[in-house]
Parts: sequence; C-alpha cells; structure tokens
Amino acid sequence: MRGTTLVIVRMALLAAVLLLWEALPRFGFVNPMLLPPLSDVLAALAHILVRADVHQALGVTAAEVVVAFAIAVPLGAALGILSAENAYFGDIFKPMLFYVFSIPKSIFLPMFILVFGIGFPQKVAYATFSTLFIVIMSASTAVESVKAEHLLVARSYGATQIQILRRVYLPSMLPILLEALRISMIFNFTGVMIAEMYASRLGIGRLIADWGESFEMTKLLAGVILLAAAAMLFNEAVRSLEARCSTWRT
Amino acid sequence: MQHVANLTGERSGAAKAAVEVRGLSHVYAGRDGAVPALENIELKVPAGRFIVIVGPSGCGKTSLLMMLAGLRAPSAGTILCDGRPISQPDPTRVGVVFQEASLYPWLTAVENVEFPLVLKHAPRAERRERAGAMLNLVGLDGFGSRYPHELSGGMKQRVSIARGLVQDPPVLLMDEPFAALDEQTRMTMGHELLSIWSQTSKTVVFITHSLTEAVYLADEVVVMSARPGRILDRITVDLPRPRTYQMMATDVFGALRERIWLQIRTTP
Amino acid sequence: MTGMTRPSPRTVRRLIGVLILVLWEAIPRLGILPELFIPPLTKTLHVLWLDRAIYAAALLVTVYEVAIAMLIACGAGILIGSIVGGVAGVRRLMLPVFSSLYAVPIVILYPVFTAWFGIGSESKIVFAGVYGFFPVMLSTAAGIRTIDEQYLLAARSMGASLPQLITRVVIPASIPTVLSGLRLGGALTIIGVVVSEMLTSANGIGYLVTKNRTTLDSPRVFAAIIVILALSVVYDIAVRAIERRTLVWQAAGRRDAGERGAVLSAQAAA
Repeated sequence: MRGTTLVIVRMALLAAVLLLWEALPRFGFVNPMLLPPLSDVLAALAHILVRADVHQALGVTAAEVVVAFAIAVPLGAALGILSAENAYFGDIFKPMLFYVFSIPKSIFLPMFILVFGIGFPQKVAYATFSTLFIVIMSASTAVESVKAEHLLVARSYGATQIQILRRVYLPSMLPILLEALRISMIFNFTGVMIAEMYASRLGIGRLIADWGESFEMTKLLAGVILLAAAAMLFNEAVRSLEARCSTWRT
Repeated sequence: MQHVANLTGERSGAAKAAVEVRGLSHVYAGRDGAVPALENIELKVPAGRFIVIVGPSGCGKTSLLMMLAGLRAPSAGTILCDGRPISQPDPTRVGVVFQEASLYPWLTAVENVEFPLVLKHAPRAERRERAGAMLNLVGLDGFGSRYPHELSGGMKQRVSIARGLVQDPPVLLMDEPFAALDEQTRMTMGHELLSIWSQTSKTVVFITHSLTEAVYLADEVVVMSARPGRILDRITVDLPRPRTYQMMATDVFGALRERIWLQIRTTP
Repeated sequence: MTGMTRPSPRTVRRLIGVLILVLWEAIPRLGILPELFIPPLTKTLHVLWLDRAIYAAALLVTVYEVAIAMLIACGAGILIGSIVGGVAGVRRLMLPVFSSLYAVPIVILYPVFTAWFGIGSESKIVFAGVYGFFPVMLSTAAGIRTIDEQYLLAARSMGASLPQLITRVVIPASIPTVLSGLRLGGALTIIGVVVSEMLTSANGIGYLVTKNRTTLDSPRVFAAIIVILALSVVYDIAVRAIERRTLVWQAAGRRDAGERGAVLSAQAAA
C-alpha cells in the first residue's frame, strides 16, 4: 500500500469510529448515560476548555510533569551513564533494574503520602520515582550503543575527550536519547496521573476522577480526549524530531 | 565438449537422473516495470555430474536454483528432472542446501535431518535410522542429540547437507553453502563434499562466487553473465579425480580460473 | 600483597538486599525516622501474620482479577500482535497507530471503566486487560518479525504443506516471542490490577493498602505492600522457570538481549 493510500485508509477508519461513537448512543444501541454521543462530548470539551478551574488544574498538572521530569532526567541519566561506563557498577544494578520494572511502583504511593503529605511535592516525588528507572535504563543503553569501534577510531586520530563527546557520542546517541525522553515522558505523565487520581486536591487527574465519581460522563470523556490528545501530540512531536536526527540509522 | 574420463557411467547403483532446462526465461515485476532476470537458459546436466554455476552478483543464479528446486516458477521455459517436469518442491527428486544452514533451533541435529521424513509421515524407526545414516555420511556420527546452537558453522552446514540427502534424491542443489564459513573450513568442507559425492553418485548443481572453489569441485563450470543472466560459457574441468589440494597450485588450475575470470570480467 | 578480588555482583546485590532488610528494622526502632513513615520490619510481618486471613482473602480476589485480565491482555495481545506483525499490509496500516496510542496513560480511562462497570472486579479486569494489551501486542508484533524467512523457505523446499508450515515451523519459532509476551503481560496486569484496586475499590490487596493508609495504620499498609511484592516476584520466578524449561534450545546470549528488548519496547508504567 502506498503512503497516501495508508493515510486515507486510516482517516476512513477514524471516521468510522467517530461515526459509531455518535450513532450508537443516539439510536439507543448503547446507553447514552454511559457513553454520551460524540457531539455531546465535544460540546463538553469546548465548555471545559474555557473554565478557569480547568485551566488551573491543567497548570498544576503541567507543572508537576515538568518539575518531575526536570529532576528525573538528569539524575537518571547520571546513574545510567555511570552504570554503562563502570562495568562493575552496571553488573550489580542492571538485574535489579529489571525487577523494578515488574513490580507495581504505585504501591509506594502511600509512603510518599506519609512522608510528604498530600500536595505538590508528593506528586512530584512520586512521578520522579516512577520515571527515574526508565531514564537510568535508557541512558545506560544509549551509552552502550555507541559503537566501540567508532570510539577507537576517534581516539586513534588523537581526538580529545571533548571532541569525542561532541563528534562521536552526541550524534550517535541523539536519536536514542530522544526516544528515551519520549518514553520517559510517558512514564512521567502516567505517574503524575496516578498520584493525582489517588490522593490529591488539584490537577486534571483529580478533576476527571471527580467527574467520574459524580457520573458526569460528558465532561469525563472530554477530559480523557483532551489528555490523550496532549500525550499523543507530544509523542509525535518528539518522534518526528527523532526521525529527523536518525537519517543515518539503519 | 570434451568429456572427462571421470567415471560417470561406471559408478555402481548410480541414479540416472538428468537435469534439463529448456528455453528458460524469467521476468519479474520491479518498481519501475518489468525486469528481465534470466534470458534463454538452456542447460543439460548428465546424471552423476558435478556442475558449478558462477557469475557476478545479481546474475540470477540463485533465482535459477530456486526454479530448479521448484520453489519458483519461471516466466517461460521448462525444467525437467529425470525426464519429468518440476513445478513444485519435490525432495525425493531434488534436495536443496541453502547458504544459511536454516536448521531449526528447537530441533536437535538428528531431528533436523529427519524433518523431511516427518513431513512425509514416515514411521519413527525408519526416520531415525535413515537420519542417523546420513549424519554418519557427513561425519557427524554421535552429534545427533546436539542442538544447532552447540554446533560450529561447518557442522551446521553438514547437518544441512545430511538433511538434503535424507530422502536420497538423485539431484542435489547447493546455493553457496560454504559462503558463510571461513576459508579453512571452506576448503575442508569442499573436500568432504567431494568425498560424499563420490560415495553417493548424485548429480550436483552447486553455486558459488569463488572461482577457486568452482574449479576445485566441478566437472564442468557454467559461467553466467550479469543481469539479465545468460549462459556465457561452459568450461570442462579436466583435472583427475579424486581432487587434491596440490592441484590448486598447478598451471592447469590457474589457467582454468583465468579463463573463467576473463569471461565474467569482459562480458557486459 | 596480591590485590583483593572484588566480590561478585551477585554477592553485592545480596548484601544490598540484606542491608535493606536491616535498615528497615533499625531505622524506625532507632527513631531515625518515625514509625509512621516506616514501621519496623518485624512489626509489619507480625501484623501480616495476625491478619493473615484478611490478607489471604484479599489476595485471592486480586489473583482472580489478574488471571482473567491476563487472559484478555495476553490472549488478545498475542493474537492481534501476530496479525499486525505478520501481515505486512496490516502492519504498515496499524502499527504506527498503535504505537501512538501507547503514549496515552491508560490510567485516565479508569474512571470511565468504574462508571461503566462499577467498583467491583469487572472494572479492574477490564482496566488491567487493556493496560496489559498494548505492550504485549507491540512486543509480539515486533517478535513475530524475527522469524527467519529462511525457515519457511527451507521447509517449502522439503515439500511442506501449508498446515505443516504453520504447525511445524511458525508455531515453534514463535514460542520465545509468545513466552516473552506472557511474562510481560503478567507483570503488567498485576500492576494494572493493583493500581485500580488502590484507586477505587472495595476489595483486593490494593484496597487494603488504601484503606489502611487512610486510618494511618502503617504496619498494615506495609504488610499489604509486602504481599504485592511477593506476588510480583513469585510470578516472575515462575515464568522464568517455564521459559528456561521450554527454551532449553535457546542460546543464552539471545535470552539476555530479548530481556532488554522486552523491557524497552513495551514498558510497564506505575
């Protein structure tokens, strides 16, 4: 299938889904109390986008996401690089990392609440905790991906450490770093959402959880669409950046 | 064409199967229209001969082999084996050995060798016996219960050859089987292949890039041109059998190589 | 004096594990941190033992939810992943779509599920099922493509029929991918169930975490945490054992590479 055909087919699929979302509740095939028709949800979306409390919630959430990311990424990168450069350190910690990925990190939320109370620091701390490990692993992989041969060639030409960093490490690692950032952000955002939905007074996660509890389905679904769109937008933006930097990759 | 005194008709119990290619042409659909791959191939291989096909990359020799194996249908022309046409894979008539040994990693060596018999629902005892005999033939007696990841590259190819021979086809096709091996292993394997061949009197069609390997192994070298592949020349190798490594240093050997090389190099 | 050899990484890990346990006991007892934050390990275990009936009942609910959710996530994930990965047309059409959807935190759908299915086990199962589905699907789609085309070619040259190709080549060759998907799916469904139980629930181990937190009963909170950790670890060990047994033919190197690939390509959040 050629490129444009693909796009057309995808658009058609999307249109079909949206059509079903409108038709099924309207004609009573699906309980409209549970799944309001698309048009109602879009109306609710327009409505909430202008509300001040929603703006505030979005701001809080955005702040949490950014701060948590700003802490997790440098910290995780440092640990990851250390674990890649120092083989002994790496051998000790890599298997532990694998285990960490299979346990539900949300079980530690109560600990964070006990220590920080309920509020901004708690959510940021938890999100940082959530994100830290994937950053470590990604950074470690990124460093290891720089081929030893490339480094050897550079050194044999007498490149200084700085030159090696700039001209071998950086271009080699850039696409991988971008991908790592993209994936870490997914974890980060998820962590913030969980923290907000679990125990929080503010934030968009809290809002949609409240709307869910009070059965305000149109607003809830509108909020879900909003957040999903934001997440996908960021994802695609970074992905296209990755693609731009990856032209040399096989 | 001179016929070398190499015992073709004198082997006992020889399976007299010939491979015959008539008027074979192949065109495939490329991105910008039809691409001629092979042009008017005419080939007759007498039974029991060892034919080697050489040619530049992309000349279609692998495609030709695929068609001889019945894995692909040519656009035009016929392929006969033992007088009957080949239109689909038939391991009782044509055995195939690929460049990648393609052994199934979840099967042991002997299970890999007996795989074609499993596909034919042969009884277990018979399968085991036959597979064991083939492993013996290729010099891997006792390695039957090893898994492919425990075998070296050369050993894997031997298992692959045993698998190709397990249904005793009169014809054996080999597509650069030693290309992935290092030089020394290659030489050893070539030597052993000739030994196996002399014991079983199959007709062998062997593809290689290596001119040395071609001259060393072949009764006759078929030289193909670049795409679209045509047969440029058929060069009989007059060296006595059994072949030895020392022959590679002789002038005759060098002259044959040179002749093949000139053909490939100068023909557009 | 000859240089002292360093202890092996495994020894160091064990030492770290022991150290954590020791600190867990010592820090609260010595008053370095209040017992509210970290109750001593022995107290936690004691409370767990006292209430073992309650925890056992909750664990049963959780395990039940995980089992059903796993069936959904792994079943659908492997099936659809095979199709998306194996059929070129479908892959080019749908894979980018699924990869994009993966960026959305599934947890935002949980309020929708509770509204639709209530706060009982159904909503947890649906949520955890969806939660585990995407990564398993993506990982299977990626893994299917690693099946060597040469395997199929070789089988065809040996005269295999189509059913034989599927049963004797495709299925055995897919087993590593499927097992990897199962390991991933199981870990993720456990996470999904626990998260949803913690958020809105009346039952299950996650619920116990939340309930005891609101009453500031730290030992009982940590007891629940221990149970969940045990569940994850036991599952992981069990699947690895199965993998080892079934994949006796796989070279060790490939397993480690697959390990990292599985984690990177389909990560578990939360």
